[in-house]
Amino acid sequence: MDADSDVALDILITNVVCVFRTRCHLNLRKIALEGANVIYKRDVGKVLMKLRKPRITATIWSSGKIICTGATSEEEAKFGARRLARSLQKLGFQVIFTDFKVVNVLAVCNMPFEIRLPEFTKNNRPHASYEPELHPAVCYRIKSLRATLQIFSTGSITVTGILF
Amino acid sequence: MTGRVCRGCGGTDIELDAARGDAVCTGCGSVLEDNIIVSEVQFVENSGGGSSAVGQFVSLDGAGKAPTLGGGFHVSLGKESRAQTLQNGRRQIHHLGNQLQLNQHCLDTAFNFFKMAVSKHLTRGRRTAHVVAACLYLVCRTEGTPHMLLDLSDLLQVNVYVLGKTFLLLARELCINAPAIDPCLYIPRFAHLLEFGEKNHEVSMTALRLLQRMKRDWMHTGRRPSGLCGAALLVAARMHDFRRTVKEVISVVKVCESTLRKRLTEFEDTPTSQLTVDEFMKIDLEEECDPPSYTAGQRKLRLKQLEQVLSKQLEAVEGEITTYQDAIEIELENSRPKAKGALASLTKDGSVEDSTSSLCGEEDTEDEELEAAASHLNKDFYQELLGGSVPGSSEAAGVPEEGRRPPALESLLGPLPTAASLGISDSIRECISSPSHEPKDACGDGELDLSGIDDLEIDRYILNEAEARVKAELWMRENAEYLREQKEKEARIAKERELGIYKEHKPKKSCKRREPIQASTAGEAIEKMLEQKKISSKINYSVLRGLDAGGGPPGEDGPPPREHGPPPGEDTGPQGEAARPPEWTSARRLSRRKTSSRRSRPDPSTSAGKRLRPLVSTQPAKKVALGEASLPSAHSLEAERVRPTVVVVESGPVSYHAEEDAEEEDAEEEDGEPCVSALQMMGGNDYGCDGDDDDGY
Repeated sequence: MDADSDVALDILITNVVCVFRTRCHLNLRKIALEGANVIYKRDVGKVLMKLRKPRITATIWSSGKIICTGATSEEEAKFGARRLARSLQKLGFQVIFTDFKVVNVLAVCNMPFEIRLPEFTKNNRPHASYEPELHPAVCYRIKSLRATLQIFSTGSITVTGILF
Repeated sequence: MTGRVCRGCGGTDIELDAARGDAVCTGCGSVLEDNIIVSEVQFVENSGGGSSAVGQFVSLDGAGKAPTLGGGFHVSLGKESRAQTLQNGRRQIHHLGNQLQLNQHCLDTAFNFFKMAVSKHLTRGRRTAHVVAACLYLVCRTEGTPHMLLDLSDLLQVNVYVLGKTFLLLARELCINAPAIDPCLYIPRFAHLLEFGEKNHEVSMTALRLLQRMKRDWMHTGRRPSGLCGAALLVAARMHDFRRTVKEVISVVKVCESTLRKRLTEFEDTPTSQLTVDEFMKIDLEEECDPPSYTAGQRKLRLKQLEQVLSKQLEAVEGEITTYQDAIEIELENSRPKAKGALASLTKDGSVEDSTSSLCGEEDTEDEELEAAASHLNKDFYQELLGGSVPGSSEAAGVPEEGRRPPALESLLGPLPTAASLGISDSIRECISSPSHEPKDACGDGELDLSGIDDLEIDRYILNEAEARVKAELWMRENAEYLREQKEKEARIAKERELGIYKEHKPKKSCKRREPIQASTAGEAIEKMLEQKKISSKINYSVLRGLDAGGGPPGEDGPPPREHGPPPGEDTGPQGEAARPPEWTSARRLSRRKTSSRRSRPDPSTSAGKRLRPLVSTQPAKKVALGEASLPSAHSLEAERVRPTVVVVESGPVSYHAEEDAEEEDAEEEDGEPCVSALQMMGGNDYGCDGDDDDGY
């Protein structure tokens, strides 16, 4: 969270993605039938479960691997993951909460000025790549930080990445 | 060659003859080497009399075919995998490049990119077509040709974003910086497609100018260049009196109609759009605009701020709703007749308050139109409050008020009565305030419990049985198609598994259940059998018939056909046998032999001969086993017994075959099984069915 003296640059974390394992086989059909907030995608073999309190969406596979997205902070992500595991326990599975790991964090921030994308790309050659035909933003990758920034011409920047 | 020693005499004087390709010792004359391979240029005479050198052009990439020494040994000498990949890629590049009308230099560059990609293992796990397209597009970008990624994806029928992903990866890995696309590059191409005829150049120039103007007005960042081109060309065409409809333009430019419209609207917002055609050609406005999305964002921000300010105002003025209502009514009464002196001043104050509040309400509903007026009036209102807090303080204040009021009145009276707008403003205020409360409720309420008691909340997530059933039914109905497909697929697989055994034989021809050959003469039987077996079309049937002309009495036809089945594969020269006296046994033998000879004539050339014989010989054994008429068996046995004796007399090859067959037959007589397995071992292609047929018998 950077705050300059003149211009307060607010970086908002909008999404935290995490994974965890339940170390037990999950019967997707049972979850789908008995869960009130689930979508069963049989063709790809997964169940989407949505929680309201920490507003998260979880993708559940039958192998026991679960991906949790939509949280707004790391603590919230862990909280939501625990809740999810608890609800699966209530459904009758022998769930063990293991291997919790945050894999991606997405943040948004706004610049008060516009950005000229073609010139920006020219000046930051190896890192920045701009394909107006494909996406309206410049994709700036920082390898050392393992981060990707999407820079739009309006000045809004989306930062995503994870540092272990 | 170089001082070799002769093996025979030990002499070192060896003569090499290049013409014959020999190395001969001059001492003893023994040939030490023949068929020496020389590397000399050979010349061949053409039909025209000239001579040309013998040889092949070999490609630099090693893509030529390996020379086949001795003919036909293509097995692993062919090409390595890498060379094949490169050759395949080259072919695809040329194919695509020709469709795009790229010149040879571009194609070569693209092939170099492809080689680099292959050496960096970037082609693994990706379709060659995608990699090839990415290489070509990279070349297009570096050369600056007016080809879009969309064109390539059209040719390949692949999603643009998939191609784009491959292209980005390639550019990154090969460290090639593709220069950014300039929409100006596309103008000539699209103009040509739009067929402006003679004025093509002028229209293009106008469109270029428009584009440059757009660039300065920040319309082009983050946008597809083709959309901008389309808008520029459309305007340019109209400027030069060409009637190009939006549909024509979008079909050429490949953008959506709404995109084009949006670009046009954005351009309309720029000050340049206000210029006339001539002015535009001459003048270039100095100021630059903000990008449209930025403007839109700013506008939203401003509106939000305005709403906040207004809501504050509303809250501040909350207590005076009723007074407003009264004041409005008074104002309405007053608006019809002209305002009189004292009363007017009173009403003015009220109406000013009214107007601001009502205007506030209207603003909430219609932002754009009264936004400026609202801000203006608000400022004045505050100024009034500050400057002349006492209502009706000074005439000076009142006059400007009055001056301003008529427009306010008009704007008030134009739409619905202010009471209505006020009423709306009330509800709007409530709406604004209530959503702020709602989130707080939802956090606590929606879950029924606070964070402490999690279990109950989670229990809500679990449906009871009735709900579960309903949900299951809903899901089934929704995914019915998918389920049906799965079932069909499983049924198909199960069926295939059942028929799997039979299906293997189906591709082999003549795999039908053959009826027993019923023929009146031996010759007929032979013919029928030949037809069924389809052994060879090179058999001279007439000769065959001739051989059987003096065949045995028809009575023998019963057994003979059956015995045709298992001709003991005795081979004799057909002609030799024809000369024999036609005893019935010998006739049978003949026919048998003939059939066997017929079969085995082509057989030696193919390997089917061996197969035939065992099959053929199994049949009698099986038939015997099946316990058909003893007569045939007796006959067969007799014949078999007789045959060996005859066989001995015959010529070499015949006896060879005969001996084998005799052995086989003897073996068969004892035990039919080994022959059956031998048949199966031999692959039993055509004759597997026969085996089955026999089983059926």
